[in-house]
Amino acid sequence: MSIVPKETIEVIAQSIGITNLSPDVLPAIASDVEYRVREIMQEAIKCMRHSRRTTLTTVDVDSALSLRNVEPVYGFASRDPLRFKRAAGHKDLFYIEDKDVEFKDVIEAPLPKAPLDTAVVAHWLAIEGVQPAIPENPPPEVLTVPSDNGKTAYKEDGIPVDIKLPVKHVLSRELQLYFEKITELTVGRSDSALFKEALVSLATDSGIHPLVPYFTFFVADEVSRNLNNFSLLFALMRLVWSLLQNPHIHIEPYLHQLMPSVMTCLVAKRLGNKFSDNHWDLRNFTANLVASICKRFGHVYHNLQPRVTRTLLHAFLDPSKALPQHYGAIQGLATLGPNVVRLLVLPNLEPYLRLLEPEMQLEKQKNEMKRHEAWLVYGALMRASGLCMYDRLKTLPSLVSPPARAVWKSNGKVLTTMSNKRKASMDNTMHQPPLKKLATESPMGATPANSLPVDMPGSSGGYPTIIGTADANLQSSRNESVPGSSGRKEMVGGQGPKTSAALDQAWKDDVDAGHLLPLLYEYFGESMLSFIPSPAASFFL
Amino acid sequence: MDEEEIEKAVIAYLKKKGFKQTELALQEEQQLRNKNNSPSTDPDISKHILALSDAENVPAQYQEGYSKLRSWAYSSLDLYKHELLRVLYPVFIHCFMDLVAKGHIQEARAFFNSFREDHEMMHSRDLQKLEGVLSPSHLEEMEFAHSLRQSKVSIKICQYSYDLLIQYLHKTQSITMLGIINERINFQVSPGQPSSISDDAEVFTLVGSGHDAANLVNRKEIHWGLLEDSLGEKLEKAGGRITDSDKADGEVKDGELEENKKRSVDGGKGGSTLKKLKKDKVAAATGKASRSESSTASGAPRVKPELTLPIIPTEVEHSILEDLRNRVQLSSMTLPSISFYTFINTHNGLNCASISHDGSLVAGGFSDSSLKVWDMAKLGQQTGNSPLQGENELAPNENILNANAKGRSYTLFRGHSGPVYSTTFSPFGDFFLSSSSDSTIRLWSTKLNANLVCYKGHNYPVWDVQFSPMGHYFASASHDRTARIWSVDRIQPLRIMAGHLSDVDCVQWHANCNYVATGSSDKTVRLWDVQSGECVRIFIGHRSMISSLAMSPDGRYMASGDEDGKIMMWDLASGRCVSPLVGHSSCVWSLSFSCEGSLLASGSADCTVKIWDVTKSSKVSKTEENKNGNTNRLRSLKTLPTKSTPVYALQFSRRNLLFAAGALTKIA
Repeated sequence: MSIVPKETIEVIAQSIGITNLSPDVLPAIASDVEYRVREIMQEAIKCMRHSRRTTLTTVDVDSALSLRNVEPVYGFASRDPLRFKRAAGHKDLFYIEDKDVEFKDVIEAPLPKAPLDTAVVAHWLAIEGVQPAIPENPPPEVLTVPSDNGKTAYKEDGIPVDIKLPVKHVLSRELQLYFEKITELTVGRSDSALFKEALVSLATDSGIHPLVPYFTFFVADEVSRNLNNFSLLFALMRLVWSLLQNPHIHIEPYLHQLMPSVMTCLVAKRLGNKFSDNHWDLRNFTANLVASICKRFGHVYHNLQPRVTRTLLHAFLDPSKALPQHYGAIQGLATLGPNVVRLLVLPNLEPYLRLLEPEMQLEKQKNEMKRHEAWLVYGALMRASGLCMYDRLKTLPSLVSPPARAVWKSNGKVLTTMSNKRKASMDNTMHQPPLKKLATESPMGATPANSLPVDMPGSSGGYPTIIGTADANLQSSRNESVPGSSGRKEMVGGQGPKTSAALDQAWKDDVDAGHLLPLLYEYFGESMLSFIPSPAASFFL
Repeated sequence: MDEEEIEKAVIAYLKKKGFKQTELALQEEQQLRNKNNSPSTDPDISKHILALSDAENVPAQYQEGYSKLRSWAYSSLDLYKHELLRVLYPVFIHCFMDLVAKGHIQEARAFFNSFREDHEMMHSRDLQKLEGVLSPSHLEEMEFAHSLRQSKVSIKICQYSYDLLIQYLHKTQSITMLGIINERINFQVSPGQPSSISDDAEVFTLVGSGHDAANLVNRKEIHWGLLEDSLGEKLEKAGGRITDSDKADGEVKDGELEENKKRSVDGGKGGSTLKKLKKDKVAAATGKASRSESSTASGAPRVKPELTLPIIPTEVEHSILEDLRNRVQLSSMTLPSISFYTFINTHNGLNCASISHDGSLVAGGFSDSSLKVWDMAKLGQQTGNSPLQGENELAPNENILNANAKGRSYTLFRGHSGPVYSTTFSPFGDFFLSSSSDSTIRLWSTKLNANLVCYKGHNYPVWDVQFSPMGHYFASASHDRTARIWSVDRIQPLRIMAGHLSDVDCVQWHANCNYVATGSSDKTVRLWDVQSGECVRIFIGHRSMISSLAMSPDGRYMASGDEDGKIMMWDLASGRCVSPLVGHSSCVWSLSFSCEGSLLASGSADCTVKIWDVTKSSKVSKTEENKNGNTNRLRSLKTLPTKSTPVYALQFSRRNLLFAAGALTKIA
């Protein structure tokens, strides 16, 4: 009937030397023991409450015993709550571990450190009802994150960079797992089929927006640390590509963090192992990535493309940079569109080719590797200029024939009207270049990516409008032999009357296009001809 | 046949008891009666007698009777069910105690265990106590059981439920149950519809003296008004005089700024705007005055102090008036700033903390019987900050440096010979009291850093001690079930308040110093008249030990917090609960009203400080007092979690800055 079994009483009685306890007494004592224990516990709980604690300690039991004028139980004094251990195999049997201690050890043990003295520190728990975010206060939203060091590191590092204010940011367990999985795949098994699946998921999944800052940080971090790891870099770029493809996520705020890594993969001096890895591929891929970013976000960030262009141009025009860097820059510029090529590459073509030429010749450059690189750069240049010209010609096929300046002057007006009509239809036509032909005929076998003809209507449209200028300027520019330089001059030239701007522009375009082909032919020879659109080519030939 | 049966039963009974003479006498009489052909007896009685004769089977009767009653109550009409179920609990505990008293310990235990789950939710703590009762002697010894046996439980019940119950008991012939109900329960039968469950808080607590006594006590008149001639009143009076010059100056300045802007816009009409400005000034002043009046609840009646109160030194009075003038008005829209004092490295030794009224002194009472007092103003100055703002700037390492440089950052007070359970500062911060498990109270001076007086009077640990709002007097609460009133200049108590059925756990003065409230482990709060020492109110409704008390500054309301984290607001005049505040998940260690009584702050062992809007509820209760509206839950305005620091003490300064203190505890 009592929780205390009779047997216990018997055993205890025997242990203190009472052997002849009558069996009738046992239950009576047992029930009284239980009652007394409860009584002591009740008092002990009172003591605990008045000591402002919520865990019962041995001290409380001792004070309860002293309240009842009972000798306290010595030897268990401890300020800290006791740590009970569950006895193996029993559901509700607990014990306190009591290890044997060697007396010698106790004596020889160094003195324990003196405990720190009690002190009071003050802080603001709330200021006018608002809890300030200071270390003394608990974080506004306690993240329910398992203590995974790697991930918390991202969390702690990633957020303050992105967002100045401490913003509530809770990642669900699922998202954390997802992130972990993806990063693991990217780092370790980027050639597996699973990674391809992951990329698809990244490009389509609608729920991964909370992970964008972490991915951004991950990419930036990995790129900066692993410039020698080609496959990882490629995997990272593919990851970025997939993220960009995802229509559900809002990646704009993180672009400024992503761009440096992406640009690094385009124009870095060394990407992976110089000999074994095909870093050219990576550069081509990244070039397209840059172009697609510019295309998509150029209208949101007006300085995005100028900055990218400036970086690339710097790389391109610096002779001290290595050839792979030049290659990357050229590829990058090329993907930004024919207009960029026309305005920034073609003007520098002649001096550049002069520099490049010795590198390409067997007798002058003994290093097989360097020569190969030079040829690749040459090929990239040729492709860029060729595509540029192709674009021009396609737009204005009527101007293909190498024109005499006299002719130009005489029939200028007629042509203007014609080209204006053409311009209207340009949008339809310009997006259908004979890709396959390009692919097969590109001399160095550089793989033109699927979205190669990145002709941004927005950005390319931007340049001509700047160009649209006064008649006088135009006149002078027409006399220039290098069309690109004229463009630049026109940029300096002020604002022409707006009514004539479109007209002038179209007219000037015609002029430029007319100049392009012979010039390029001069530089690249026969191979240029393959870039001429077939109808135009026939006309030309 | 009836008579024969009765005869048989009686004879059997007599035989069993060995009353041979009686048996014979009976038989003779029977023969006589048979001749006279006496009228037949009621068949019911025979059954009753039969049942009584069946003495061997008592436990089974209880068990069966109760289980039948229970299943009947559970299957009764929904409308009346809760009333009938309410009857079950007293029947249950009395069945159990009857069984124990009759010596059927084993059966009592079995009975208890088989039905305890029904009552676990409402009465778990009582059940825990009763569980230990295992012999008739325990019943005598245990205060709780004893008081239960002594008194009748009164239960409010509607006429129909009562009829149902009586009908059932008669029909089923369950004499045992009927006996218990008649003996132990006092029904207050009310005509009409059954009462709702919520307004009937009394079910939770079974008071020894019974509810009648409580109701009787609560009928006594109390004067909850504020003291006449108090500082607040002085301020208001002064406010009337000095509004133009001093008090409303700040406001008017603001007004002037705006006015100036307007004027510059207006351009030329200088004269007219000046007049307008004056008018505005007056309006602002009166507005301010009226506002302060309403906020300090000067609508409260004034009462004369029953104690001779000490005279406040003029410079202290001036500083208090200054504080009152600079008080921040708090409301549900403007929440207070809270400065939190965290005790670190306490090694689980901190038992209590208290903060002086200006927040400059913090005292901690430790289980090693020491007291430590920190002067926060000094700490602030040492780090080169002004005393009030310096508090938050104190980085821990700075503090440690301080400590090293000076040896200690605090003043140590030794004198007690047991854990210190409570400390309290005098209203002006020059003295403080401490109470300890050594059953003494000591008075210490913060100026001299020395013990001045040791008050011996309690026989058991003194759980709580509180200075009166005016100083000089103080009240103490002890394990010996009494609360005592003392004055600092006498070593004997002035009054002893006895009446609680268990430990008095906390004590609190009323704002007008004429009353003292005590909270006890018997789950009641009592209000005592200091002058007469009589109990004038009993507040019943908590379900566990009362751990903290607070009085509203207007003297009308009282808040009490219990061990389960529930806070109840009481209307002192009516003795009714205005509204329970539910939100804390663990003991409420500390409660504090803001100075104008609009907010209530509560600090709990669940490591949070909660701010409650009290104005709203008071209004609601005023308007709906008659209706006794049960939906007027008070609003929790804000929950401020601390970093694993249970909140031991809360104190609104006179300027309405809230100070809180607690010990940082490591979570095991």
